[in-house]
Amino acid sequence: MSRQSVVRRRPLSTLLVILLIALLGWGWQERVALWAFPDIISAYTAKEYCSCRYVMNNETEYCRSYVKQWLPTSRFVDDSASKRITVSGMGRTHSAAWVGERQGCRLNP
Amino acid sequence: MFKGLSLTFMLLLSLPAHAENWPGEQWSNGPTVTGPALQALETYAFPPRDDSTRKGIRTDALLVIRDGQLIYERYAGPARADTPHLTWSISKSLMATVLGVAYGEGLFKLQDPVQTFYPPMKQHPGVTMADLLHWASGLDWQEDYEYAPLKSSVVAMLYTRGHQDMAAFTADHPEYAAPGQAFRYSSGESNLLSAALKNIVGPARYPDYPWTALFEPLGIRHAVWETDATGTFVASSYVYLTARDLARVGLLMARDGRWQGRQLLPRDWVAFNREPFAHYQAHQDDSVPGGQWWLNRAVAGAPQPWPDAPADTFAALGHWGQAMYVIPSENLVIVRYGDDRDGSYRHNDLLKLTLKAFAQQVQP
Repeated sequence: MSRQSVVRRRPLSTLLVILLIALLGWGWQERVALWAFPDIISAYTAKEYCSCRYVMNNETEYCRSYVKQWLPTSRFVDDSASKRITVSGMGRTHSAAWVGERQGCRLNP
Repeated sequence: MFKGLSLTFMLLLSLPAHAENWPGEQWSNGPTVTGPALQALETYAFPPRDDSTRKGIRTDALLVIRDGQLIYERYAGPARADTPHLTWSISKSLMATVLGVAYGEGLFKLQDPVQTFYPPMKQHPGVTMADLLHWASGLDWQEDYEYAPLKSSVVAMLYTRGHQDMAAFTADHPEYAAPGQAFRYSSGESNLLSAALKNIVGPARYPDYPWTALFEPLGIRHAVWETDATGTFVASSYVYLTARDLARVGLLMARDGRWQGRQLLPRDWVAFNREPFAHYQAHQDDSVPGGQWWLNRAVAGAPQPWPDAPADTFAALGHWGQAMYVIPSENLVIVRYGDDRDGSYRHNDLLKLTLKAFAQQVQP
């Protein structure tokens, strides 16, 4: 049986296998960016909310809507006593905290 | 002798006529402007604000300085006169201004290799301070924000892989072009400048340097400049200033780096900021890059980016509609803060309407 006949007998499966290999190849090439991607929403929300609230001194309600993006967050804690924000989304959690009058807020490691 | 004395006397007499206005603790107020041209400007800049869709022009602050006096200010949304507003990429022009003071101290030259001051740039030994100021390091940087988050170098720098040490993250990028040959806007390069400043002024002076070098001499009492975990100022993005305080930097630039009697920035530094990058090609960006400032110049066969504003207009511009325009020929400084989440806002429209409302009427 020649290879050509496999392609002829299973054209759809062959195409899917090729697409899967291409996708895996792309995923491997972009593995660093893909792994970091789910961190964006919680890190962004924690940092920019912290600055909105404790650097720009805006109201909590305004800052919640200010940081809203198309990706959802699942948990949001604003500890106003320590000026520390913790946010979860896409399975990752990040926090940011107010550091001082001149340095504003910083994302924690 | 008598002739010399009378000349001095006449000079003294003529001083009040040429007296310049400078802000003290507060800006002094200039003559109030009213009329249909101002109404047209306000209709453009302050349409009804839609906080649920976040569509359209959403101005937070608009402030106009003419001849060193405050002639107009209005705030909307959450902003007030005392709100230290996020400037986003206006921070880049502010870092350039801070660097200008260090340049005036004779601490570095434009052609110095960046690696002299920031060793991780040994990977890219040909990159000079001037190349970074022109966004022309040749590093393969991707500046897209929220529309291409996966490939965005700037999102990774601010929020994920780079946020602890933004300059090191930038220096680790490969090269796509020879240094100094091609323009590509990069937030990373502004943070390399910030990291270089650390050794330019020394680690002991660095944490206070933006305040001692720039903010305090200008009478700016409340400035916030966030850092990464290594203490490097996030020069790409994170300065917070009131509109009134940002305008002080605009006035400094409008007057060629002079603040009252003191030449705070060397004149050749400001000239460098305002000189188009020689290898910029038409339409690579919305306006023409100078030294970390944006210029309204017709270069590379393209018309002026803002045709309704004078050719000497230059600006510091940031994400979501932050802008400070400086028009030396009209003695105007315009600060506009916003929260624009779409592309409705146009620099040229705002400049055209502001000039119509506030430019000095030429008497026939």
